[in-house]
Amino acid sequence: TVIMDFQEMEETEGLRFSWNAWPSSRIEATRVVVPFGVVVTPLRPIPDMPLLPYEPVLCKGCRAALNPYCRCDYQGKIWICPFCYQRNHFPPNYSEVNERNLPAELYPNFTTVEYVIQHTPASPPAFLLVVDTCQPEEDLQELRTALQQLLTLIPESSLVGLVTYGTMVYIHELGYIDCSKAYTFRGDKDISAQQVQELLRIGASAAPQQRASGGGLTLAPGSPKVSSGVGRFLLPLSECEFTLQTALEELRSDPYPAKPGHRRTRATGAAVSLATALMETCMPGTGSRIMLFVAGPATHGPGIIVDTDLAMSIRTHQDLVSENTVYYRKSSKFYQGISQRLVASGHIFDVFANSLDQVGLAELRAAVDGTGGVMVMAETNGHEIFRKSLQHLFQKDSEGNLVMSFNATIEATTTREVKVTGAIGPVASLRKKGPCVSENEMGCGGTSAWKLCGLTPKTAVAVYYEVVNQHSNPIQAGQAFFLQFATQYQTSAGQWRLRVTSTARRWVDGSSPTDMAAGFDQEAAAVLMARLAVWKAENEDAFDVLRWLDRHLIRLAAKFAEYTPNDPSSFQLSSNFSIYPQFMFHLRRSQFLQVANNTPDETAFFRLMLNREGVLGSLVMIQPTLLAYSFDGPPVPVLLDVSSISPDRILLFDSFFYVVVHYGSTIAQWRKLGYQSDPAHENFRRLLEAPLSDAEALLMERLPLPRLVECDQGKSQARFLLAKLNPSSTHNSNQFGNSEVIFTDDVSLQVFTEHLQKLAVQS
Amino acid sequence: DPGALPRPVDNPDKAPFTSVANADPRFVRLTCNVIPNSQSLRNRWQLPLGAVIHPLAPTPPGEEVPVVNFGASGIVRCRRCRTYVNPYVAFTDGGRRWRCNVCGLLNEVPADYFCVLDQNGRRRDLEERPELCRGSVEFVAPAEYMVRPPMPPAFFFLIDVSATAVATGMLQIAADTIKACLDRLPGDSRTQIGFLAFDSALHFFSLKASLTQPQMMVVAELDDPFLPMPDDLLVNLSESRDVVDALLESLPSMFQSNANIESALGPALKATYLIMSQLGGKLLIFQSQLPSLGIGRLRLRGDDPRVYNTDREMQLRVTDDPFYKQMAAECSRVQISVNVYTFSAQYTDLASLGTLSKYTGGQVYYYPGFTPAVHGEKFRKELTRDLTRETAWEAVMRIRCGKGLRISNFHGHFFIRSTDLLALPAVDCDKGFAIQIAHEDTLLATQTVYFQCALLYTSSSGERRIRVHTVASAVVGDLAEMYRSCDSGAIVNLLSKIAIEKTMTAKLEEARALVQQKCVAGLREYRNCHTQHRLTGRLIYPETLKLLPIYSLALMKCMALRGGFQEVSADERCAAVYEMMNMPIDRMLRYLYPLLVRVDDMSPECGRPGKDGKVVLPPPLPLAMDRLDPRGAYLLDDGLHSVLWLGKVLPPDFTAQVLGPALASTADLSNALVRPQANDVSKRVVAILDALREENSVYQECVIVRQGEMREHIILSSLVEDRGPGSLSYVDWIVQVHRMAQQKA
Ligand SMILES: [Zn+2]
Ligand SMILES: [Zn+2]
Repeated sequence: TVIMDFQEMEETEGLRFSWNAWPSSRIEATRVVVPFGVVVTPLRPIPDMPLLPYEPVLCKGCRAALNPYCRCDYQGKIWICPFCYQRNHFPPNYSEVNERNLPAELYPNFTTVEYVIQHTPASPPAFLLVVDTCQPEEDLQELRTALQQLLTLIPESSLVGLVTYGTMVYIHELGYIDCSKAYTFRGDKDISAQQVQELLRIGASAAPQQRASGGGLTLAPGSPKVSSGVGRFLLPLSECEFTLQTALEELRSDPYPAKPGHRRTRATGAAVSLATALMETCMPGTGSRIMLFVAGPATHGPGIIVDTDLAMSIRTHQDLVSENTVYYRKSSKFYQGISQRLVASGHIFDVFANSLDQVGLAELRAAVDGTGGVMVMAETNGHEIFRKSLQHLFQKDSEGNLVMSFNATIEATTTREVKVTGAIGPVASLRKKGPCVSENEMGCGGTSAWKLCGLTPKTAVAVYYEVVNQHSNPIQAGQAFFLQFATQYQTSAGQWRLRVTSTARRWVDGSSPTDMAAGFDQEAAAVLMARLAVWKAENEDAFDVLRWLDRHLIRLAAKFAEYTPNDPSSFQLSSNFSIYPQFMFHLRRSQFLQVANNTPDETAFFRLMLNREGVLGSLVMIQPTLLAYSFDGPPVPVLLDVSSISPDRILLFDSFFYVVVHYGSTIAQWRKLGYQSDPAHENFRRLLEAPLSDAEALLMERLPLPRLVECDQGKSQARFLLAKLNPSSTHNSNQFGNSEVIFTDDVSLQVFTEHLQKLAVQS
Repeated sequence: DPGALPRPVDNPDKAPFTSVANADPRFVRLTCNVIPNSQSLRNRWQLPLGAVIHPLAPTPPGEEVPVVNFGASGIVRCRRCRTYVNPYVAFTDGGRRWRCNVCGLLNEVPADYFCVLDQNGRRRDLEERPELCRGSVEFVAPAEYMVRPPMPPAFFFLIDVSATAVATGMLQIAADTIKACLDRLPGDSRTQIGFLAFDSALHFFSLKASLTQPQMMVVAELDDPFLPMPDDLLVNLSESRDVVDALLESLPSMFQSNANIESALGPALKATYLIMSQLGGKLLIFQSQLPSLGIGRLRLRGDDPRVYNTDREMQLRVTDDPFYKQMAAECSRVQISVNVYTFSAQYTDLASLGTLSKYTGGQVYYYPGFTPAVHGEKFRKELTRDLTRETAWEAVMRIRCGKGLRISNFHGHFFIRSTDLLALPAVDCDKGFAIQIAHEDTLLATQTVYFQCALLYTSSSGERRIRVHTVASAVVGDLAEMYRSCDSGAIVNLLSKIAIEKTMTAKLEEARALVQQKCVAGLREYRNCHTQHRLTGRLIYPETLKLLPIYSLALMKCMALRGGFQEVSADERCAAVYEMMNMPIDRMLRYLYPLLVRVDDMSPECGRPGKDGKVVLPPPLPLAMDRLDPRGAYLLDDGLHSVLWLGKVLPPDFTAQVLGPALASTADLSNALVRPQANDVSKRVVAILDALREENSVYQECVIVRQGEMREHIILSSLVEDRGPGSLSYVDWIVQVHRMAQQKA
């Protein structure tokens, strides 16, 4: 068996497989417990990836792109598709192609290439700002500052628009120059897109409304019946900067004050619905963002989460479980509808929730997740998380283009023996049927193509497969099979591109666990399982996700560990599997599955993030990392265990959402005494600096920005760290001994492992 | 001899003087200054019994209505019938009690109001107490006369900004005029102001004082109009002055290139109602076409000739859509008075639009086919007067009459609240009212009956006041006495209003028949009681009614009643109706029998200020074509319109001087107006015109016609003594009246 470096493969392909060798028979495949899946990072920067200024050559059978795994007959000018075995002729402009004169896409090492699709005209993206004004003037002032800063980040040629809301929703006509002008809509009504077009007099349905029966009015010749909202509601920033700045300066707290004992009347849903309608009319099929800046719970109209009456509290997980909510289902459904509309026009929906209260992210999530939007939770408009995340979102590449990409479709192609069961990520189904599509569904299934309205170089999608080859049709072990991912997307500069990644893996004899085990990528497997677990928890009614995870783990251990039946002490896992149980242990305890201590909004946020991060990021979320800094040498990873806390150490804890710098009590004392300013203690100064600058680096690479907590041992802020550490010192193991599959929560990893061993060896 | 027939020109209207203890006739005139003691006598009299009330009639300097402040003791009123203390109450018991002249109850005199009586039983302070010696007084009302703090004057402008409206050019003039009036709006620093523009959508303007520019908020949803924000749509003018100025400055250009041709008046009104309903005030609507969208949209129904002379004819003169009446009732309830300005050359259904004014004490302004060159000055002047005239706000008017009588009908622009209370959200010096009086008892028991009209209102300065007009009238049992005491000016005014209201429920023909029947019956009855003249075969009439026949004839020939479909368009007729229903006596008489003067051959004092400072007018002439000399130039004025008629052989010199050299040589004068020229002739003519325009809510532009041209009909229809299409000449009319008066009823 060959040791495979999965991370290295990811760097060239952007792919991480749970299994890198697949059993060739369907029956064997069902016995490997962990699903076949790939974590795809469609726009991952690939070193030396060729950018091809022409269109791809497509198989006339399955539309797969020509790639290095095709068998080519240069004499006959023919290539054979490795997926459907269709014989294709090279196009006429490939007549000169031969072994010594290959186009880039046929180079063996260029398994990932990118085409610039020339024929589609470039159109700059639009950014529609949707601003909640139900906040005090001081807060609004901070938001104004942030938005004014945002305007400096948006390219001049990009279109911008402004919607503000509170009790009412105001769509600002930035193209109107005589005075500030906004169309007003009721916040308690959900208006259809067609109505919005009629009322704004934009789009195809801007026809005259009902008229007096005998009115005898005729249209003045040449009067514009149909007009686009571009130029009125959405304009290039360079053209509307003044009116937009004026509108922002004139932003005032919503004129409808809260009644005593009530929350403010906040029509978030209507605002989002109207923004969606405006964008789908003005910018259909052009990558764009709707950016919602919300300051509190939606209390009015569609998408409401709680009444204004403070006597009614905002729903908790307990309420959701016991179905004790008035609005949750209806509002979630409302945003699912919004999500579908956004997806249909290729628009991203971002939420910046700058509120101490829940704003309704649990309900809104469908629209953010389905469109690849950004969800940021900051407590105030002045918070660094908000400000820096906004800057991060609008970061530019070396050519000065925004790093964000738009309006992508990702398409998976397989060989006949493999079918796609689904995808989990910030995607929406494009309902593309075909021979690649399985009848079984995992996540967003029933299709081989998905829409990603918004994505970055880091966005990762989990794609799941099943092996469908019958046992009666043996394939020789060691033969290759192929998968292809084709991602078409729009760059922020408006250019259309197609990235094609083709990959090959080997068939193995599934009955031989060793062959299988060598290809097991426990990190990718943990991430693929985590996404699946969350998906099931959310989408399958009364699904007992913990029991399901435990059962999976035990079955996997039983199949791949070495042991003497019924002898737990003989249990031994190979290195390829050794840390997988730990991942499962932490996953079970994670905020993704243990929701009781979080609000539904927080849970929505955590799960949304898990759904789009790559393998490494996701693992940090599941099992945080802990580094110890001391005078003894460079920082070292230490066990995520309370025992790692020590008075003379600084710990850098990273759970992806929180980065905690924890000072041991001695260090804290020295720092208090100011030793770091003493030139004689230069070492100490450096020791203090190192974890902070490492933390800063972590912060800067993430969107949204993690929360940075600095704390001293024994102080209350240390709870952010303690909550995640393995409670090894508190275990009381004697209560285990029955055959119950469910593990008790908050047991130590050691107890968990012992239990696993015991159950796995039971034959 | 036609020349000997009685005419207004020889007999200027003059109200018979009764007593200083009675209200001045400029405020109240009874159609008959004695009251028949029985129902049967009243029936024999035939003519309308009632009064014409002009509660805020302008007063010459020095004749202002005295203001009385009772202070802490409160206003002295009868405990039982609530009559205000007046010159006819009797003080008894040494001044400690007073007897109510209306119901007879003995009331205690409040301690603060006590005064000893003299040997004649009159209070010694009588002369210092206007309320005890004058028929018209104004009381300062204490807090109990308020249901809320007195409202500040509020003006709200609802402006049609559709392409059609912009094309008329009205928007620019409206904005300029409003802007020019801002400093003169009543109410000083308390005045409130707001604007709403509409086409197919509603354009609201936030005028928040802290803004430098107005903020426009558009509501396009018409089904259920709502306000885009809770405040700042109706603001304090002085606080938001800069924003208001900025808005008026840019309003015309904002909609300059508007291509929207729809008019959502109904939804705009509902939205306005939401804005104004907390406060009330004056709503000015500028409408340039038939409302085409949303609730209250109207049909093109007014130019169908086939409905004339059918049972459906009168429907053209009332609204087709219950929305307008409901809206008007709602407005009245929350103290909104609506003035409607219309500018369209096409049918706009004034019958419906005007309903808003009719029930809210408002006024309708009509500029058919508005063009700035012809109507600009008129619109500017009329709007200016509308905005700047002294106005009484959130008013109610109640008229009490003595036992045995009741008010059977009210005429004018108001809404009747609780049977006899007229709700007048705003009322001013240009509004007149008329009432009819009926006998409740078959026989009146008293020697005198009293009428008391009380107008409770808020002044622009925020003071709550009650203007009280009291009139006493002797009760008589003799018909001849009634004929001697009748007031033809009041009769003509009341009869006109009765006839006009008849057109709301009957054909025009029937309304004209009513006028003829009243005129004839009145004269027949007079003839019956003067049997000694019966055989002479001459038409006899009492001196007091000698002008009744000519005014009746003129009434039948006026815009509101004459002809049918061809003669007057539905909107024109409605506009005239709204004007007439508001007219006090003098304006009605002038309207029915216009002033005709010769201006080319004036004696030197004419057209110049006379001894009293007023411009001397040339002698008025009878309204007959044969009085017009083809060598002369004549000015005709009915209070709404002025016409300069130029005879065929008028010396061109005069024409050149009055019209100016440019116009004098222009063949088509249809868009020409008399404008001041730099010469004495012109100055005198213009001075006459200006004198006629003074103190008039309407600004008469003076159009010009030449004898014999097609357009001459505009003056011909005013020559009421001549025979017209389907109408008689004065002489023929007298013959007919005479003949009919001789017949048995
Ligand atoms: Zn193929
Ligand atoms: Zn009384």
